[in-house]
Amino acid sequence: QALNNVSKSAVIGEEEVKQLLNEVSMALLAADVNIQIVRKLQISVKAEMAVADAGAGLNKRKMLQNAVFNSIKRILDPGVKPFIPIKGKTNVVMFVGLQGSGKTTSCTKYALYFQKKGYKVALVCADTFRAGAYDQLKQNAAKAKVRFYGSVSESDPVAIAREGVRDLKKEKYELIIVDTSGRHKQEAALFDEMKQVQEAVQPNDIVYVMSATDGQALHEQAAQFKAKVPVGSVIVTKLDCHAKGGGALSAVAATNSPIIFIGTGEHMGGLEHFKPDGF
Amino acid sequence: TQSTWELKDKLISKNVAVAVADDVCKSVQATLQSTKIGNFESLHTAIERSMIDALRRILRPKRDINILREVESARARRRPFSIVVCGVNGVGKSTSLAKLSYWLQQNGNTVLLAAGDTFRHGAVEQLEVHGRCLGVDVFQLGYGTDPSAVAQAAIQQAAKSKNDVVLIDTAGRMQDHESRMRALAKLIHDNQPDLVLFVGEALVGNNGVDQLRKFNQCLHDFTPVGLKSRGIDGIILTKFDTIDDKVGAAVSMTYELGQPIIFVGVGQTYQDLKVIEADVVVSALMQ
Ligand SMILES: Nc1nc2c(ncn2[C@@H]2O[C@H](COP(=O)(O)OP(=O)(O)OP(=O)(O)O)[C@@H](O)[C@H]2O)c(=O)[nH]1
Ligand SMILES: Nc1nc2c(ncn2[C@@H]2O[C@H](COP(=O)(O)OP(=O)(O)OP(=O)(O)O)[C@@H](O)[C@H]2O)c(=O)[nH]1
Ligand SMILES: [Mg+2]
Ligand SMILES: [Mg+2]
Repeated sequence: QALNNVSKSAVIGEEEVKQLLNEVSMALLAADVNIQIVRKLQISVKAEMAVADAGAGLNKRKMLQNAVFNSIKRILDPGVKPFIPIKGKTNVVMFVGLQGSGKTTSCTKYALYFQKKGYKVALVCADTFRAGAYDQLKQNAAKAKVRFYGSVSESDPVAIAREGVRDLKKEKYELIIVDTSGRHKQEAALFDEMKQVQEAVQPNDIVYVMSATDGQALHEQAAQFKAKVPVGSVIVTKLDCHAKGGGALSAVAATNSPIIFIGTGEHMGGLEHFKPDGF
Repeated sequence: TQSTWELKDKLISKNVAVAVADDVCKSVQATLQSTKIGNFESLHTAIERSMIDALRRILRPKRDINILREVESARARRRPFSIVVCGVNGVGKSTSLAKLSYWLQQNGNTVLLAAGDTFRHGAVEQLEVHGRCLGVDVFQLGYGTDPSAVAQAAIQQAAKSKNDVVLIDTAGRMQDHESRMRALAKLIHDNQPDLVLFVGEALVGNNGVDQLRKFNQCLHDFTPVGLKSRGIDGIILTKFDTIDDKVGAAVSMTYELGQPIIFVGVGQTYQDLKVIEADVVVSALMQ
């Protein structure tokens, strides 16, 4: 979506490269691409243009457009293969992210997606912090007909996660998904707790869930999550509003992880594969 | 000029929406052109000073909303004061509602919470947990019921049990989802709450301005004939504790609506509801 803007504005201006590049940058910023990334992009595009300048004759506008496309595609493709749960084995996947980003909703969609593919799937509620978190995931799981594990009496998320994963492993579940509380880098205790949950369940993958509406503060948050736990995948939610989702570039860049799905609605079905070309 | 460009970049890096940063910089340029810069002052300081003025002007409320006083006067008229919170998904509406309840209780009021989110799984239980912790009653009609009917019945219930304030929760919805937006407008026009608060998160980027504009617009557009058109009365901006100095959303939101930010959310406990300090925001932006 960010790119739509880019191509639009790149087509309008026939003036100088610099002017064009400026317009492109503004379009990217309006799509919430992190300003540091935009600056880096400017430099790399300029460099690419300078090299291309030698072989003149080509249309400058077209060249610039290509250069921007390529740079963005490079960022969106971290060169890491996304984790795919292996059938017949136990796969543990943990969901993390900022408050309200869409973890609980997305992990249910993720569960349903793999259950439809024939996996034996279970959800674990390791959020004892948010009011009603237990009921939310339980009701989600019931709707999706997925096995739910949670506790109303235990207040330690690490204990619930550990016991849940242990029990479900015994029951031969192939995909065990652990939902966690929302947290942010400024609260060290919350961040440490995430580390403890991770150590307790030893996940095969950690999914960082971000909202497409997020602005400039996202980049630093995503980077800190990655610094604390080995994030391996990204899900971008709430793309059903017209948010440009440019922050997704930051999330990928900061976590060096591919976007595996995008969320496009509140209902269970609102999950789609991510195609970088269309983005 | 070079300096205003740099400042615009700075505003954007602090999460001010691009269109708003643009406008602010243009207005700074206009002021500079119309005023003579003294010899003792460099251009740079003049720009900075003018920028600070512009930002302060945006953040200064054009209208003063004193909730406690309004609650007091509603009480004198023997009717409950009603507040509706609305906004997109996951921004902190329900949590802010609970914080508002705590604050109102601290100030000697009795509160009824209305479970107007009959849509999202766990939303009713979420309010019930808050009700238990805060020691306030929660009015609910379960899931799948008409939110407008919930609000109406809750207001009646509050009048009967002599509660001073009814706080009405609503489901999160995307600003472009027309049927859901219509349902919100219906709830508000049916029940004519005393205050409609838009809840947004300080994390939000350029989409925030669009959210606020469309929520406000939908209330106006879907006013039934014969009723007075009304919009958003004020803003609660949440998750201020997650953004460090990237406080730009506060500027974008007030600039768009022209209504005040009544509270900011600065954490996840009931006490984490604060009054915004314009000077702190401006200095974080200029840093
Ligand atoms: N429109 C839309 N709403 C979404 C999407 N994903 C999640 N939501 C909504 O966003 C809100 C927050 O989602 P949750 O799944 O509760 O978020 P969370 O990250 O688990 O929140 P915490 O546990 O409080 O940190 C809910 O109202 C969801 O219905 C999406 O892709 N589109
Ligand atoms: N750090 C921080 N978290 C907050 C703040 N306000 C709310 N939250 C968290 O944000 C998440 C979502 O809050 P809710 O109150 O459920 O949001 P909502 O807008 O009612 O969500 P929906 O009803 O699903 O649309 C929860 O995890 C809250 O604890 C705040 O000021 N700071
Ligand atoms: Mg959750
Ligand atoms: Mg809510």
